Amino acid sequence: MTALVWIILLMTTATGAGVVFSREPRQQVLAIAANGLVLTLLFSVLQAPDVAFSELAVGTVALPLLFLVALTSIRTDRKDPP
Amino acid sequence: MPRLRMVLFWCGVLLLIAPIAAVVCDMPRFGDHPLPYGDAINHDAPRDRHVSNTVSAVNFDYRGFDTLGEEFMLVCAVTGAVVLLRGSRGESVTAEPGTLPGRGLPGRSDAAVLISRLMGPFTLLFGFYVVLHATVTPGGGFQGGVVIASGLLLLFMGEGYRGWRRIMRTPWLDVCEGGGALLFALAGLAPMLTGSAFLQNILPYGKFRDMLSGGLMQIENAGVACAVMAGFSLVLLEFLEETREPEHDDT
Repeated sequence: MTALVWIILLMTTATGAGVVFSREPRQQVLAIAANGLVLTLLFSVLQAPDVAFSELAVGTVALPLLFLVALTSIRTDRKDPP
Repeated sequence: MPRLRMVLFWCGVLLLIAPIAAVVCDMPRFGDHPLPYGDAINHDAPRDRHVSNTVSAVNFDYRGFDTLGEEFMLVCAVTGAVVLLRGSRGESVTAEPGTLPGRGLPGRSDAAVLISRLMGPFTLLFGFYVVLHATVTPGGGFQGGVVIASGLLLLFMGEGYRGWRRIMRTPWLDVCEGGGALLFALAGLAPMLTGSAFLQNILPYGKFRDMLSGGLMQIENAGVACAVMAGFSLVLLEFLEETREPEHDDT
């Protein structure tokens, strides 16, 4: 296990903890995206480029976007704006 | 209440710490692969199927039936989401998403538009590359499909909602989604007409390291790419539609 893998594993831990400890939903969505990006790096370093593609597109683009859109939908669903 | 939660948390930690430590100490060393399956596939797939991306060989040939199941899981999930969400909002595409009535939408910055317009076509091109080279280089129908769907999202960010909806025709996406899964199922059924087994690879395997190697895998791969691309696009589209509030004369 090289130093690079260790560094990225530490980054995975840090960004994963970031997801758990961020309380504001929009911040949490961005934390999930950051975690997905670090996982993409991890999979590339571990020589699994196809898994990295999936993680990049699903974990960093699609999933955060769905969450963001859901949050927007909640915010715009009020009949009378406060 | 938070105190009780912490007490529960520490009880769980005390109970689980010993088993977890035991499991961690007993794990195979990093990078070890004690099971013989991977080596067998790496040895067999290039010789038997003329395919250099053995992951595709597993997905579409050796365990093709499992992939067919996953394919239909995806179709069911997308269909369920679309049926739930595509309700009474009508087919109009004039109202922008994410707006409240009486409140304007802040425009996109020039930098975001520029980056999206530059990266969108390249992302789409790369997605098609990943799909087409499924049997040669890492990637395949699923990976390429999600990359293409991300590229289509970049078009949304570059061109805005109306320009995007001019490309994203819902009926085409519906057909693409169902048709992809159907193509996979037909690729499984067609060999049975010749007396072979379900999903048996009866097409010529082609040349090793050639883009068209792999025989029947190519057709299954195309089906998966269509279904995944359209499926992801449809889910993203339906979610975005949820934030729109069409005006009254518009529906």
